[in-house]
Amino acid sequence: MKKIKVLFILSALVVMATSVSCSDKFDSQEGQLNAADLDYTDTNGMIEPLIGAYNVFATRHWAEPLLIAVRGDDVNAGGLGDQQPFADTDLYAYNKDYWMYNEFWNQHYSDIIDLNTAIVQVERFKEFLSENEKPLADQYIAEIKVLRAWLQFNVARVWKDVFIYETNTPADEIEANGVSSKEEVMQYLSDQMDEIASDLPDMRPNERPDLPGAVTRYTAYAMKAMANLELGNYQGVADAAGAIINSGKFSLYSDYYQLFKKPGELSDENLLEMQYSDFNSETGDRFYHLYAPFGSQNWTPARENARSGWGFYEPSMKFIKFMLDRNETIRLETSVLFTDRGILDLEADGYNSLPSFVRNTTRDGDIINDYARAKFASGKHYLPSIQLTDERDDYGGGKNFINIRYAEILLMYAEALTQGANGNGLTAAQAVNLIRQRANMPDLPSVTLDQIMDEKLAELGLEWGIRYYDMIRLGRYSELSYDGRTFSEDKAYLPYPQEQVDALPLEN
Amino acid sequence: MKTRFTLLLILLFTLHAFAQDKTISGIVTSAEDNMPVPGVNVIVQGTIRGVSTDFDGGYSINVNKGEILEFSSLGFKTVEIQIQDQTTVNISLEPDIASLDEVVVIGYGTQKKRDLTGAIASVDAESIEKTPTANVMQSLQGKLPGVQIVSAGAPGESPTVRIRGLGSFNSGDTKVLYVVDGAFYDNIDFLNTKDIKSVNVLKDASSSAIFGVRAANGVVIIETKSGRLNSKPQIEYDGYTGIQHAQNVVKMANSEQFVTWVNESGSTADISFIDNAMQRYGRSRVNPNVPNVNTDWYDEILRNGIIQNHSISGTGGGENVSYAMGLNYFSQEGILDMKNEYERFNIRSKVDANLTDRIKVGVNSVFSNATQYKPENGAWFKAYFAVPIIPVIDEMNTDASPVRYSNAQLLGYRGTQNPFSDLTYFNNRFKIRKILANVYTEIDFIKNKLKFRTSYSHNFSALEERRVIQPYSLGNNVDRISEIKRENNTFSNQYWDNTLTFKDTFGDHDLTLLAGHSYRDEANNKFNATGQDIRGISLESSQFLDFADPESFNNKVEEIGKRFYGLSYFGRVAYSFKNRYLAYGTIRHEISSKFTKDNSDTFLGLGLGWVLTEENFMKDNGVFDFFKIRGSWGQLGNDNVDASSGANTIDVVFTDFGDQQFTGFTSTSVFNDLVWEFVEELNFGINATTFNNRLSIDADYFIRDTKRAIFPITIPVVDVTLNQNAGTIQNRGLELSLNWSDKISDDFSYTIGANFNTIKNEVTRIDNEQGYIDTGSAEFRQRTILGNPVQTFFGLERVGVYQNQAQVDADPFAANHPEANLQPGDLIYKDQNGDGFINGDDRVILGSFLPKFAYGGNIGMSYKNFDFSLSFYGQGGNKILNRKRGEIIFTNDTNIDADLAVNRWHGEGTSNSYPSSEGIRKSWNQQLSEFWIEDGDFFRIQNIQLAYNISGKSLGTNMPDARIYLTAERPFTTFKYNGFTPEVNNGVDRQTYPIPAIYTLGINLKI
Repeated sequence: MKKIKVLFILSALVVMATSVSCSDKFDSQEGQLNAADLDYTDTNGMIEPLIGAYNVFATRHWAEPLLIAVRGDDVNAGGLGDQQPFADTDLYAYNKDYWMYNEFWNQHYSDIIDLNTAIVQVERFKEFLSENEKPLADQYIAEIKVLRAWLQFNVARVWKDVFIYETNTPADEIEANGVSSKEEVMQYLSDQMDEIASDLPDMRPNERPDLPGAVTRYTAYAMKAMANLELGNYQGVADAAGAIINSGKFSLYSDYYQLFKKPGELSDENLLEMQYSDFNSETGDRFYHLYAPFGSQNWTPARENARSGWGFYEPSMKFIKFMLDRNETIRLETSVLFTDRGILDLEADGYNSLPSFVRNTTRDGDIINDYARAKFASGKHYLPSIQLTDERDDYGGGKNFINIRYAEILLMYAEALTQGANGNGLTAAQAVNLIRQRANMPDLPSVTLDQIMDEKLAELGLEWGIRYYDMIRLGRYSELSYDGRTFSEDKAYLPYPQEQVDALPLEN
Repeated sequence: MKTRFTLLLILLFTLHAFAQDKTISGIVTSAEDNMPVPGVNVIVQGTIRGVSTDFDGGYSINVNKGEILEFSSLGFKTVEIQIQDQTTVNISLEPDIASLDEVVVIGYGTQKKRDLTGAIASVDAESIEKTPTANVMQSLQGKLPGVQIVSAGAPGESPTVRIRGLGSFNSGDTKVLYVVDGAFYDNIDFLNTKDIKSVNVLKDASSSAIFGVRAANGVVIIETKSGRLNSKPQIEYDGYTGIQHAQNVVKMANSEQFVTWVNESGSTADISFIDNAMQRYGRSRVNPNVPNVNTDWYDEILRNGIIQNHSISGTGGGENVSYAMGLNYFSQEGILDMKNEYERFNIRSKVDANLTDRIKVGVNSVFSNATQYKPENGAWFKAYFAVPIIPVIDEMNTDASPVRYSNAQLLGYRGTQNPFSDLTYFNNRFKIRKILANVYTEIDFIKNKLKFRTSYSHNFSALEERRVIQPYSLGNNVDRISEIKRENNTFSNQYWDNTLTFKDTFGDHDLTLLAGHSYRDEANNKFNATGQDIRGISLESSQFLDFADPESFNNKVEEIGKRFYGLSYFGRVAYSFKNRYLAYGTIRHEISSKFTKDNSDTFLGLGLGWVLTEENFMKDNGVFDFFKIRGSWGQLGNDNVDASSGANTIDVVFTDFGDQQFTGFTSTSVFNDLVWEFVEELNFGINATTFNNRLSIDADYFIRDTKRAIFPITIPVVDVTLNQNAGTIQNRGLELSLNWSDKISDDFSYTIGANFNTIKNEVTRIDNEQGYIDTGSAEFRQRTILGNPVQTFFGLERVGVYQNQAQVDADPFAANHPEANLQPGDLIYKDQNGDGFINGDDRVILGSFLPKFAYGGNIGMSYKNFDFSLSFYGQGGNKILNRKRGEIIFTNDTNIDADLAVNRWHGEGTSNSYPSSEGIRKSWNQQLSEFWIEDGDFFRIQNIQLAYNISGKSLGTNMPDARIYLTAERPFTTFKYNGFTPEVNNGVDRQTYPIPAIYTLGINLKI
C-alpha cells in the first residue's frame, strides 16, 4: 500500500510539472509569416512594395481588355456560340449577372485596394528615411498613384458613377463619400496627376535606370490628358499633351508593325506598358498575360508547337473596309489577321483588288487557317510565333501590352486644338501628319475634327476601347449603330454587376 | 507464436504458486438452447485466477472452499456461484437479450447502457464486416439514424461523415473525432474493419462534451479486438475477393442524338464541326447525315475493378497477458481505366498484461503501409462533354504522340475533349504510411474503486505524393512537357492523457467520479518541389526530380510547417439511485495554442434519466420490459477551424522590367482572428423494450446550435473572402430506431431493424449587414439566408417553356426583355416580385444539398447453417446542382446527356421543362433556375449477404469452423437525378467519382 501511495504522488507530480512546463508554448504560433516581421528600417526593401504594385497592375484577367473594347465599331465579339453574354454585350444587350462584368469590377477595385496597401507599405519605410532620402519614397508613392489612376479611369469609363478609394479600408470611404460621378472621378484624377507629377522623374519610361519601363512624370501627364478629354476640358488636354510633346523626349517608333511585337517593347513611343516576359529562358518562371482570347482559333505557326488562340476578338468588317477605303497599308496589315473565309467575304462585297498583304499568311509566316468562330483576328495582340522563346508555346507568350503610347497623345492634342484649345507647340495638322508619315499616308494640309477621329480609328483601332469611348464622349452614336446593331444613349454604360448591387450601396 | 508469448510471460512475471484445495469442473450451456457455450470467462472473484470454457463448454479450475466463481460472457447474464463442497458445477446461462447491462465505451471510461442519459448509438463487429470496404465508416451507412455517410467512390478515399447534420459552414471544419482505443484521430483510413470490435457514436453534446474542442462534429469511439485472459489461442483467417461494377452510368447523347441537337442549335460553327467530322471520319451508313463515329465515352473510360481483402489474426491470453495480433492486406482497383488503385498492408499488435494484481500495462500498435493511385477526376468531366463524333484513337492525327489520340480541336472544337490524355499521361501516386503507437498503465490504488490510468500515444504519418505528367502531344500544337511534383507531408501527433477514476456502490447509490488531464502536441511539416522537362521520364526508374531541368525549379519549391499545443482538464460524475434516477455531468477546460484570441474555454455537459420500469407503479405493467426517459444538455467546441483568416501577411511576387526579373512583395491587410466554434445541444430521448424484450425502441429529439459559426464573408471592394465567427447554425431532428428479434425454433431465428431520422438545417443568426452570405460562382449562386439551410441553391423558379409564338407575344416579359429575343423553346420564369421583369430580384431558394430525411433498415434470418441478411438505405429532400450540364454556359460546343438531348423542347408540346437546343445557348436560359437543379432522393439496397456456416467438428477433429459468404454491396440504387450517383458530398456534381456496386465471395476460417 505504501508503494501505491508513492506512485500516486509521483504521477500527480509529473502531471503537474508537465502542465507548467508547457504553458509557455501557448503564447506563440509556429509557422505563420506576418507582415509585422518586415524590417522597415532596411531602406533597400522599400522598392519591393513598388515592384509588387507593378505586379498587381500587370496581373490582368483576360476578359478585361476584351470587355472594355468589344462594344466599339472597330471590333466584334468572336467566338460565336461561346460566351453568349459577351456576344450580347457587343450587341448592347447587357446582363448584369454576367461574370465578366463582375470580374472586371472586382479585379479593378481589389487591385486599387492592393495598390493602396502598397502605398501604406512605402510610407512605413519612409518613416525611417533621412530627409534627403524621402523624395524617393514620394516618387514610389506617386508611381503607384499613376497605376491606380489607370484602373480608376477604366472603371469610371465602364460604369460612369463609381467609387473612389484612397485607403485600404474601403468600407469607411463608401460610408463617407458614396459614389462619385464620372466627372468627379475624372477631375479627381486630373488634380491628382497635377499634384504628384513633380515627384516623378523627368525622363522617358525606358530611361528609368532602376526599373526600365516604369512610370515617369510624362505618364502622369498622359493620364491627366485622358481624364480631361473625358471631361471635355480641351485646354487641360492640350496643356498636358503639350507638355509631353514639348519635352522632346518622345517619338513614334519607326516600324508600326513591330511596335506591337517584341522589338517595339520599351520603345521611345511608350508612356505606359504592362511588361511580360519569360526572361528568354526555355523553362522556369514566366510572367505572361493570357493573349489566347485575342488569337485565331486555328493556325499553322511558322514555329512548331506554338499554340493558337480562342478567337474571341474579331476586327469588324466595318473597320477593315474603312481601312481599305483609305488605302491604309502598314496599319491594316498590323491590325488584322485575315482568313481565307474573311477574304472571300470582302471580295463578295466588291473589294476585288485587295492589297497583297491581305492574305491568310502573315509576313512572319504564320498561316491563319479558317475557323468557325470568326473571320478575322486581332493583329495588334498577335506575336509572330517566330518571336516566341524556344520551348515556350503560349499564344503571345511574353509580349508586352502597351497601355498608352505617344501616338494617342499626339491625336488627343490635335483634337483638343480643333475643339478650340490653345496649343503651345505643334499645330493640329503637324501632330496628325507625324502619325500619317509613319503609316506611309500622305500629309494633310489642315485637319478637321472628323479627320482626326478617322485618323484615331486608323491608328488606335482595336486598342483599349479608345474608339468606343471617343464615340460616347462625342455623342456620335450613329457610328455605333452598324452591322445590324442599334445603339442608343442609354446603352453607353454597363449595368452594375448584380453581385455588387447586392453588396454595395449601388442601384442600377 | 504461442512459444513467443510463453517466453514473454516468463520474462515478465514471476509466477506465484498458490495452493488451492480443490478442483471444480463442469459444463456451461445456454439456457435458450442447451448448447454448450465456449469462451465463457470463469474467474474466481477478487482474484486474477481464471479460465475460459473450451469448445464443448467445459472448464476446470482450482479453487478454495468459500470462494465465489463468476461466469461471464457477452450476451449472457453473469452468474456467481459460491463454492462449498461440490466438485461439479454445471451452469446454464440466461441470455441477456436487452443487453441493458451491456457496457458501452464512452469518453475516458465505460458506462452501463442502462445508465446512459445521452444519445449513443452502437454497431457491432458482425454488421460492420458485411460491407466490403477499406474504411469502417462506409459500413455504417444507413445503420444509425442521424449519422450520414456520403460514400466516396475512388479507392482509398474516405467517405464524408456527418453526425446530426452540418454544423459548420466550411466542409473542412466538420471533421469527426475518432477515438480508437483511447487515442485520437481525424482520419481512420488505416484501420482494418476486421480488427474492430465495436463502434460507438456519441451523438449528443452531453456524451461528447468530455472531449471538449475536438468533439463538435460528433465522436466515434472505436474499440479494436483484444485477446482475453485465459483463453486458448484462436487463429482466424478472413478473406474475400470480388468485382466492382459501375452502376447507373449516365447515358450520353449518341452521335445521332448529338447531331440532331446541334442541327437544332442554329449555331453555324457547331454545325460546321459535324461536317468536318463527316469529312474526316466518313458518314454513317445508317444515317448519312451523321459521322461514322459513335463513341460512348463513359463506356470507354470505365472498367470493372477487383477488390480483395485478406486478414489473418491470432488472439488469446494466458493467466496475466492477453494478446491480439494480425496482418491484413486490402486492395481495390478503381473503376476509372487508368492507374487508379489502393493497396494497404497492415500489421497490428495489442498486448495487455497484469504486472501485479494492481498494475496493468498495455501496448497497442498499428503499422499501416498504403499506396494509393489517385484518379484524374477531370476525366469524368471530360467524358461528359466529349462529343461522340470523335473516336478514341485517330490514326490520321499524326502529330499526336506517343499515342494517336483524337483531338476535337481538329474538327474546330475549342477543347481537345478526349479524356484519354488524362488517363494515360498522368500518374498520381500517394504512399501513405502511418505508425500509431499507444502505451498505457493502469494502477488500482483501491482495488475496484480508485484507478489511475496514464496513456501516451504517438501517431506518425508520412504522406508521400508523386505526380508525374508524361510528355505528350495531342496534335494541333497541344503538347505538354514532362513534369514531376513531389510532396512530402509528415504529421507527428502526440497525446498524453491521465485519468483518475473512482467507482463505488453504497446502498442504493452508484457513483463514478473521474478527473483527468490531457496534453496534446500536433505538428505537421510539408515540403514540395516541382520540376519540369525530365529526361527519360518514360522509365519508372527515371521518375525522379534530379532528372528535371534545374531552371524549372524556380519558385516551385515550398516548405511549410505548423505546430499546435493543447492542454485540458476534465472531470465527470455519473450517479444512479436505485437504478432508477440517473444523473451525469462533465466539465472540460481547454487551452489551445492555436488561437491568439480567447485561447481557453470551458465546456459543460449534463444528463438526467428516469427508468420508469424500476418504479413500483410501472413494475409488471405488462407492456414495457424496460422504459427510460432521458434528457441532456452539453457544450462543445470546434477547433478544426483555422486560427485566423486572411492574412496580415506578405506574398513574394516577381514581375518584369525590360525582360529582367524583379522580385517584390504584395501585402494583404485583410485579416481576422478567429475563435473556435461553440456548440450547444439539447437532447431528449427514450429507450424502451417490449414484447418480452423482443422489440427495442430508441428515439431521440435534438436541437443543436453551432454558435460563433465560422462563415466566409466576402468583403466587397477588396473582393476578399474572410472567415468570421459570424452566426449560428442550428440542426434539429428526430431519430428513431426499432429493432425486433425473435426465435421461431431452434433452427430459425430472425431480426428486423428499421431506422428513420429527420434533420432540419437552419441558419438562425448571421452577423453581417446583408443578412445573407453568397457562395458558389456568380452563375451557380448558393446563398445562405437567415432562417434557411446553409448554402441553398439560389435562382429563378421555372414555370415552363414557351410553346408557341402566340404565347411569347402574349407575355409581357417578351416586351420588357427585348434583348432576350424570347422564342418558343425558351424557359418561362416566375416573376416573384411582380415588376414585369425577370432579374436577380426574382431569385428564390431552390433547395438545399442537405437531405431532410433518411431511413434505413435490415432483415436478418438464420436457418440451420444458413444465414441471410439484407439492408437498405434511402434519403430525400436534397437537391443536386447538375454542374456537368451547367458547363454548357462556358463551353457550349460539347456533348450533353441523352435525357436532355431526347427530352429537349423541339416543337409545341414536346417539353415543358427543358429548353430547346437553340434556347440553351441563350443567356436567358442559362440563368440559374430549377432547370439546373435536380432531386437527390434515392433508395438503395445497401447490402445482401448469404452465408453458409460449417462447424469444424462436423468435418473431423482439428478442422476449422468455416463460413462461406456471398455479398452484394449496393446492388441496386434508384433515383431520378441525371448523374452517376445521387451521393454528391456538397451537392455540386461536376466530377464526382461514381460509386460502384461490389460483388464478393468470401471465406472465414477459425481454429
